Amino acid sequence: MPKCTINGKAIEVKPGTTVIQAFKAAGVEIAHYCWHPGLSVAGVCRLCMVQIEGQAKLQIGCNTLVTEGMVVNNTSEPVKEAVKWGLDFHLINHPLDCPICDQAGECGLQDQYVHFGKYDPEMAMPKQKKHKVVDLGPTIVLDTERCILCSRCVRFTDEVSKTNELGIFNRGDRSEIGTVENKPLDNNYSLNTVDICPVGALTSKDFRFRQRVWYLKEAASVCTGCSTGCNVNVYYNEEGAWRVKPVQNEKVNGYWMCDKGRDIYKFVNKEARLQTAKVGSKDQWRLLEGGQAAKDVGDSLRQVAKTEGADKIALVVTGQYTNEEYDSLLDFFNGTLAVKNVYHWVNNPEDMTGFDGILFRGDRNPNTAGLKARLEKRGLKSDWLDLEKKIKAGAYKYVVVAGPENNSVFPDLESKAKMMSAAPHLVWLTAAKSEAVDSATTATYQIPLKTFIEKDGTYTNHVGLEQKVKRGTTIVAGALTLSEAVSLMSGEELDFSLRPKPLTNLKTNFFTAKRGEL
Amino acid sequence: MFSLSEEGVAFVKRELNRYEDRRSAVIPALYRVQKENKGWVSPESVTYLSHLMDIPSAWIEEVLTFYTMFNKRPVGKYHVQVCCNISCSMNGGREMADHLCSTLKLKEDEVSGDGRYTISRVECLGACDKAPMMQVNDDYHEGLTNDKAVEILRGLK
Repeated sequence: MPKCTINGKAIEVKPGTTVIQAFKAAGVEIAHYCWHPGLSVAGVCRLCMVQIEGQAKLQIGCNTLVTEGMVVNNTSEPVKEAVKWGLDFHLINHPLDCPICDQAGECGLQDQYVHFGKYDPEMAMPKQKKHKVVDLGPTIVLDTERCILCSRCVRFTDEVSKTNELGIFNRGDRSEIGTVENKPLDNNYSLNTVDICPVGALTSKDFRFRQRVWYLKEAASVCTGCSTGCNVNVYYNEEGAWRVKPVQNEKVNGYWMCDKGRDIYKFVNKEARLQTAKVGSKDQWRLLEGGQAAKDVGDSLRQVAKTEGADKIALVVTGQYTNEEYDSLLDFFNGTLAVKNVYHWVNNPEDMTGFDGILFRGDRNPNTAGLKARLEKRGLKSDWLDLEKKIKAGAYKYVVVAGPENNSVFPDLESKAKMMSAAPHLVWLTAAKSEAVDSATTATYQIPLKTFIEKDGTYTNHVGLEQKVKRGTTIVAGALTLSEAVSLMSGEELDFSLRPKPLTNLKTNFFTAKRGEL
Repeated sequence: MFSLSEEGVAFVKRELNRYEDRRSAVIPALYRVQKENKGWVSPESVTYLSHLMDIPSAWIEEVLTFYTMFNKRPVGKYHVQVCCNISCSMNGGREMADHLCSTLKLKEDEVSGDGRYTISRVECLGACDKAPMMQVNDDYHEGLTNDKAVEILRGLK
């Protein structure tokens, strides 16, 4: 284990550690653009300059290994001078129009400029004109003038997604990143290149110019887009959620997440949500408060269980809820009411075990494993095909559905909703509004639930790793968590005065309306 | 659809075996393609090469666009490269390039109507002692004057 001294701080590192990693380990700031912990070393930005005692020349920290007894600093005058000039070279052709750039506020170049900038540039020549607003594919827009050619995105497509679309073409100050013959950059991991772009060259079509990043708050959460459970930050403000970015977790997702997972912010926003409870059937809906609806449903359910037997009730559950919610749901239905007919609604049985080799899995539920474990523990093994038969035969009076939170991953939603609405009474608990349920012909209760960003809980991913999610914000005030809905059904009273305040800003601005399509 | 001759394919395969990294063989392979494809490297030949060499076309395109000696557009039967670096310029290289263009009635880097000529200005070709000079395909012509250069080009078969 080599020992080294970083800016006067003695630390011990693993053999094979680079100087820049040692700086990170010591918690000392060091300038860098091209180096990324999840990618190979390029050594092109020349900003992670360090002075090593005993060596005449400055070295780049990213490509220098720590050796025993190395004494390194990046605070000496020569280092500061080198970084200042390195930065000035980066800015020769980079436009200095930060106020109109979408990256402003989270830009590596902007941050470094504040620290090390030569505020008076030496370059007298006019800047090179390059391509602006290049449509790089379905998800990304490229501005080649802002690009500083760090090659992170090129290395990403070479090393992580292994799709090799991007390259640096031409040379000298005419160098540009791009794709061969302007083919689209179209893979399920393309938006990671936007995340790792240290400047505003690669921007996400879904997010660019919708919000200023300094107005957004972030909530640490877990992606509910599939059973991998990538760790993410959800960015939100008082108008709702705007984007999702990955957070490093070596055990789960490394530094990345897929493009499909980034869509999960869309279904938590008001436009996609069931906002109040509805009772009635097709075209004749009466609105009522969610809590009241849950109480009414609970009264009827308990009545039916008492007089006609629990066999008259069927419970259908999707893999979209937290472990805590499953526990309270099953405690009430299986425990209190003694319902044995609990069905696991699998959205796409054909490719439930699918996996693309990087992160994305065919099972597009965050908590299939948690649900399966809980059903198994209680010995609940109902065959899905059985449900349709029994509904047709009129065996069930009530079908209670803990439906999908994310409708878009349930391709069979319409047919299944239709099939279930053949029962005399349908209770649909869900966060999402859906036309399929709105056109139900039977007596139906729709009860609004909360999404993953609005509740605390635990998801179990495909390998059985339990990950906690924390409440970030409340978007639909009238929504309940599944546990709250179940408590109300069982006749308990809840003190809603303790609940967090909902978002109050109801204005609909242009950008909210334009927020990524569902 | 472009494809290399049998000897060309054998050449590329040999180059691939010569280096540890497949990428190292890109320059000789591209040069061979340019030779066999009437003096330029077309987009479809890049696709062809990427299949032949089993490396992404972006990697080939990167090398192709980096080097000016690969032609990315069609050139005439005779690609005339007039040196316009210091020594040649001092001895009238630039004027010679202009003179050739106006005599042959074509613009720089364009193919003449009969498909015979393309005139390009290039940087130093390493014959400063015999300035001005030009390179026609693979042949050097040194110690030129405007008239001599035109004569040489007219005299090509």
